[in-house]
Amino acid sequence: MSKTVQLADAAADFVAEVEHASAANLAACLQCAKCTSGCPVAARGDVKPHVLVRLVQLGQRDAVLGCRTIWECTSCQTCATRCPQGVSIAAMNDALRQMSRAAGKVVAGTRVPLFNDIFLRTVRRLGRMYEVGLMTSFKLRTRDFFSDTDKVPTMLKKGKLSILPPRVAGKGERKQLFDRARRAGGAK
Amino acid sequence: MSYVFYPGCSLEGTARDFHLSTMAVAKALGLELPELPGWICCGSTAAHQSDPLLALALPAKNLAAANGETVAVCCAACYSRLKAANHEIARDAKVRRQVSDIIGADYDGRTPVRHLLEILARDIGPEKIAEHVKRPLAGLRAVCYYGCLLSRPPEVTNFDDAENPTLMDTLVAACGAEAVDWPHKTECCGASYSITDVGIVQSLTHEILAMAKAAGADCIVTACPLCQLNLDMRQKEIEAKFGESYGLPVFYFTQVLGLALGLEPKALGLSSLVVDPMALVSRI
Ligand code: SF4
Ligand code: SF4
Repeated sequence: MSKTVQLADAAADFVAEVEHASAANLAACLQCAKCTSGCPVAARGDVKPHVLVRLVQLGQRDAVLGCRTIWECTSCQTCATRCPQGVSIAAMNDALRQMSRAAGKVVAGTRVPLFNDIFLRTVRRLGRMYEVGLMTSFKLRTRDFFSDTDKVPTMLKKGKLSILPPRVAGKGERKQLFDRARRAGGAK
Repeated sequence: MSYVFYPGCSLEGTARDFHLSTMAVAKALGLELPELPGWICCGSTAAHQSDPLLALALPAKNLAAANGETVAVCCAACYSRLKAANHEIARDAKVRRQVSDIIGADYDGRTPVRHLLEILARDIGPEKIAEHVKRPLAGLRAVCYYGCLLSRPPEVTNFDDAENPTLMDTLVAACGAEAVDWPHKTECCGASYSITDVGIVQSLTHEILAMAKAAGADCIVTACPLCQLNLDMRQKEIEAKFGESYGLPVFYFTQVLGLALGLEPKALGLSSLVVDPMALVSRI
């Protein structure tokens, strides 16, 4: 005998919100777990990818937006490539990361949002990546001065670091582009 | 043959040897790669994790500037972002309008994007490449490592078979080397988490190194600056952490091709590799 589960309105809204932001085709998931079998980080995450889809379907907003898995997903696209139902967990996770930040639910301990912010600020200002500047800001903000410090002399010796920032024209235009994107997306 | 070249940030920083060897190989093959003037960053992982419209606008800004000419890319991560932007913009009129408003120009998502591997192995072809080989790399056993972003998702990149790509293998074979078959061609190295969550990168990269060794390879050939950096620069710390010894040089495919074309190690930036390849190079 089949049973129909009726979701509360808030839960149904959450499903619609994630689907709208990601076009990930979440309703089609049949819980075969093929995604999880091929996921490089499934073994370490707090929620397996196929379980995360289920939690979204069931409208478990807090559990979903507060999980560590969305910050450990490497966006490798293996799940989306192999899913027999055309579900893209990679796309879903991009939307969940943004929703998690907007809702102030980011799990403690991840440094990914901070890194992304510094990265994008660098691009907005300079037009291109500037590793020395990025790493300096990141280390100052995380107060992590010791990891990978052995890499700096290697990178300098091997010609992998530019000391000077890149110079690309069009700074004003770039700022406009970033601002318009932000406004159009209604983000932050 | 001529393409507009989009180097991307890594080729001006950690992967300068990829840039150098690309230009050297292009010159030797008569391939023209004029640089896209005023190009900017594609936004990389940071943009698509943070802001969906920015993640399309940054690639679109660059692609619109190419005025419809085919864009050539070396970095697998840039390639993936440029292709994703084209995919989203070309199939959805609303997205096209939004992105065009943001970049201040109408962009239709139809500027062709080719990875250098596609240009070499498809547009030029392995037979033609083999004709240019001056120093066959006989005895070199290489595993070709494609990583995530070239072949996935296939409906976006349309690069090669998603589970078993062979474009780089045909190129390596054209150089006279043996392209050793192995199961980790498209496994993930952890890529951009190199700075934020190095534990993920160490364990994933370790599996790739271990499999390359088990397959009997004496080097790894890559097409992505992030993969190369993780496999090469982190190899020593991974050996220490897991109590293994690999000593596997990690080349860009342009460096391997350049050697076969008879170019000097210096012209290919081989001194930038952290695991010293010179013993291997002098053996072949
Ligand atoms: S592979 Fe697709 S259908 Fe199967 S569990 Fe994962 S998302 Fe659902
Ligand atoms: S994209 Fe994320 S969830 Fe999907 S397989 Fe890769 S790491 Fe796992």
